[in-house]
Amino acid sequence: MGLLPDEAKGLPPPGIVNRNSVWFGIMGWCTAMFQNALNRRPPMKSGVHRQALLISIGWFLGYHLTKYESYTYAKLDRDMQQYISQHPSDFQEKEKPTFSDVLEDFHPIR
Amino acid sequence: MPLQRLLLQTASVSKSVVRSAFTARKPDNANPNWLRVGLAFGSSAALWALLLKQHGEDVAEYNRRSGLE
Repeated sequence: MGLLPDEAKGLPPPGIVNRNSVWFGIMGWCTAMFQNALNRRPPMKSGVHRQALLISIGWFLGYHLTKYESYTYAKLDRDMQQYISQHPSDFQEKEKPTFSDVLEDFHPIR
Repeated sequence: MPLQRLLLQTASVSKSVVRSAFTARKPDNANPNWLRVGLAFGSSAALWALLLKQHGEDVAEYNRRSGLE
């Protein structure tokens, strides 16, 4: 991991199939098909090597982006938990009244 | 008059003959450039190998850390 610190390795790694990989793969594929269309070639049938390369690049980038994303969110969660534990006076749970406290006696008027 | 010549664009044109390295070619889709095709497929295979290797290492590292700690 080039951009991530060592503690990020303690997080569960993303699966090979993950949201960012699929999306970037699809975007790479669409880029290849778009280039085919601009050069007046059959979009899906031509340049399969180009499509494969762009899908692979997108998938690779998506995987590492997912790793970076999960580390970022984990760090945010940890910092938030630490702040809450260090400032308990700001996060006191209010006493919520139960229904029996609020309910009045029933006096039928017939 | 010579001062005005400096403002002319032709004054900056080189007097020597310059040839570009690029040649224009009509796109020939019937005969693929097999070197480029091979490089593209090879790079895709290399990227997948790198990704799967990295994933295996990540899973092993995570199991190692979570198993002990």
